[in-house]
Amino acid sequence: MRSGKSGYAHLFEHLMFRGSENYTPDQRDAIMKRAGADTNASTNQDRTTYYVVFSKEDLDEIFKVEADRFQRLKYSEPAYKTESLAVLGEYNKNSAAPTQKLDEVLYETAFRQHTYAHTTMGYLKDIQDMPNQYAYSQEFYTRFYRPEYTTVLLVGDVTRARALELTTKYFGGWAHGSYEPKIAAEPPQTESRTAHVDWPSPTLPWLAVAFKGPAYSDETRDKPALDLLREIAFGENSDMYRRLVLEQQKVDDLGVDFGNHPDPELFTAYARIKNVKDIEDVRAQMLATFTRFTNENVDQTKLDATRSRMRYSFALRMNSSPAIAAALAPYILLRRTPDTIDKVFDLYRQVTPQDIRVMAAKYFTENNRTIVTLATKAGTK
Amino acid sequence: MTARHVGFAVVLAALLQTSAFTQGASMLQHGTSPLIVFRILFMTGAAFDPPGKEGLASLTAAMIGEGGSRSKTYQQIVDEMYPMATSVSWQVDKEMTVFTGTTHVENLEKFYGLVKDMLLDPGFRQDDFTRVRDDAVNFLKVSLRESNDEELGKEYLYNVIYAAHPYGHHNRGTVTSLQKLAVDDVRAFYRQHYTRANLVLGLAGNYPNGFAEKVEADFAKLPSGSADKKRFDAPRLPAGNRIAIITRDTRSTAISVGFPIDVNRASPDWPALALAVSYLGQHRTSNGHLYGWLREARGLNYGDYAYVEYFPRGMFQFTPDPNLARQQQIFQIWIRPVEVATGVFTLRAAMYGYDQFVRNGLSRDAFDATRQFLTKYSNILTQTQSARLGYALDSRYYNIADYNTCVRDALAKLTVDDVNRAIRQHLTTDRMQIVIITKDPKPFQDAVAKNTPSPIVYNSPKPKEIMDEDAVIQAYRINVKPEQLTVVPVERVFE
Repeated sequence: MRSGKSGYAHLFEHLMFRGSENYTPDQRDAIMKRAGADTNASTNQDRTTYYVVFSKEDLDEIFKVEADRFQRLKYSEPAYKTESLAVLGEYNKNSAAPTQKLDEVLYETAFRQHTYAHTTMGYLKDIQDMPNQYAYSQEFYTRFYRPEYTTVLLVGDVTRARALELTTKYFGGWAHGSYEPKIAAEPPQTESRTAHVDWPSPTLPWLAVAFKGPAYSDETRDKPALDLLREIAFGENSDMYRRLVLEQQKVDDLGVDFGNHPDPELFTAYARIKNVKDIEDVRAQMLATFTRFTNENVDQTKLDATRSRMRYSFALRMNSSPAIAAALAPYILLRRTPDTIDKVFDLYRQVTPQDIRVMAAKYFTENNRTIVTLATKAGTK
Repeated sequence: MTARHVGFAVVLAALLQTSAFTQGASMLQHGTSPLIVFRILFMTGAAFDPPGKEGLASLTAAMIGEGGSRSKTYQQIVDEMYPMATSVSWQVDKEMTVFTGTTHVENLEKFYGLVKDMLLDPGFRQDDFTRVRDDAVNFLKVSLRESNDEELGKEYLYNVIYAAHPYGHHNRGTVTSLQKLAVDDVRAFYRQHYTRANLVLGLAGNYPNGFAEKVEADFAKLPSGSADKKRFDAPRLPAGNRIAIITRDTRSTAISVGFPIDVNRASPDWPALALAVSYLGQHRTSNGHLYGWLREARGLNYGDYAYVEYFPRGMFQFTPDPNLARQQQIFQIWIRPVEVATGVFTLRAAMYGYDQFVRNGLSRDAFDATRQFLTKYSNILTQTQSARLGYALDSRYYNIADYNTCVRDALAKLTVDDVNRAIRQHLTTDRMQIVIITKDPKPFQDAVAKNTPSPIVYNSPKPKEIMDEDAVIQAYRINVKPEQLTVVPVERVFE
């Protein structure tokens, strides 16, 4: 991301529906409509995933249409300018939620060099400037919409031979690019950081406590150990949940976010607090929980139950072709093969209570911490 | 897949006009999947909240789904569910309450043991009650009123349309009514409505022989009760369009437009109207007419859609959940938030566009394309076991055949003339209820009172046909009398 250019990966999620050399947007829409297809896309910090769900008799035609936009996207400047307003519309529909602002401030506070500093949606000022950046948008496409950054995933009643045949037929001539993004590594954090958001309308206060965590790995135990801990420390049967949500009833929403990313990202615990006077107490309890697991081993029975939970949770998700694709795609982004899932689940089996304590002590340090609070601005009616 | 009726209550379907009144049955979809799905449905809901106790049906379901059973605290239940990665979800609508859960067959006995106690022997503890009631109040006061303008608008639209009707309050209740409820109210609601007469058990997946019979025998222990077989009439709205503006400090403007229709999934004209709203567009297909017209051509917002069935939580999902079946439904247009400066223009565009749609209907080509889309798209709506089971339960409620078969058969027989006649017959232009969420009501008040034009400026050149159409839209008369525009501060909504 260049300065002032946040949100372009997400913008492309929109532009990719704006026509390609061989299909105008109307032609593409007509084909998808005839096929009764469900087609959409989503973007996070590291990837954009496009999907189409359709009946198998339409496989060839859908493949052909999809391949065209990945290799030969074509949109006019007026269409570009109009589409950038739809992105503003997306920002607008999300803007009523305080959590959007909470995340924006959390990430810009925790990261100063790495592109993780901005949200996927991007800053409002950058979104408002998008209509003026037609040339940059084309540069972005030329750089990133390349085979070295792309994986085609097919799930359903299709053979490997047929999948290969179609991929070769429609994507075979796609030339590699030459661009390699130079994403600055985030320098080690050397002090704890805090920020506060004054929210202009009535809300319950939010608290986010984040530590920079390890990047995804299917070889070392850092990330898998903390994946297990996220459930143990903040999941629905954690001591924290029992105390804050069920017994004291000070918090009505306790969550944790710790995704799989190619670069070190955040391990964040979130709480929505019912009464503004309890913010300090909830913050203290949250910090004590992080500290606790740096000092003591988790219970072996709880660890085994958590492993079981993760295994069943993954299995229960896979209840349709698109759900299977959605479960696999994030892993494929990271290692270009679904085999990484088996490897990381092997690591889950190997992680010990000691591993978890060691990793907690390594990452949950004061210098590695960012705390953001959000509450209704004083004087708001 | 088979649907089988069982005999622990008299099946009245043949004797009654609609299957909303049938009772005591199971919907069993035995299959090959190792994932076992439960949909335990009670034919009761928010329309049966006693007056002054709005929110009681939801609170009762929450106490069962997020509270303890008599033998186990909620924490103990969560602890036992944890290694299985299972949970019980609840959903309450006007006439249906459903509990859903999915487990791997390896954990079926243990999971079912918990579910059975939660539903048949609930604990109804005071500390659970305090927590789930807080959740309901905070949902209304914060999550809905202050965090999600489009959902706020869509839900308030139902309140406006169904004022003085059993559907007329939010399913979660009101802030005031919730604060008056007590755990004894929950006990009383449970005793009266969680009965065999209201129950339909739904089960799908490769459950073992004898399992369904065991579940049926367990649930036969519920009191027989009497079915909640109330007939809900269409709301009576006075003639004339109306606008309600909810004011709050927000950066954009959300608009919802709707009115009641006398069509539901059981009606002969349902396929025609379902095709009409599919043509207008639904979340989040990019080939809908409204989407193309307002977003793609004009860049006004993120999307625009139309529905003839209730679709809550649209911000977070693309297709409606099953088991929201109702006798009464509304037609609605969902305009996603727009910039404040284009709010009035967008409202005019929506009203003008809708008027044109009702006058002109669909072209033959548009009809053919939409019919082809829907014929296949019904497979996408029902691609999971849970959705198939849910749709089957809804088909049972409406007394129609299997949803996919029904849709395909009806579409095959449908003509463009049928659709255009249904549009003219059911879609009004003189009883429209409009809900707007915005910071400043004045531009809307001026447009209504003085017909102040609302020209629009684009950031790129537009084709002549768009500019010509805009010239009409910017001064298009909003057909609302000034006294029919009301302004409601957000803190009064759902209060």
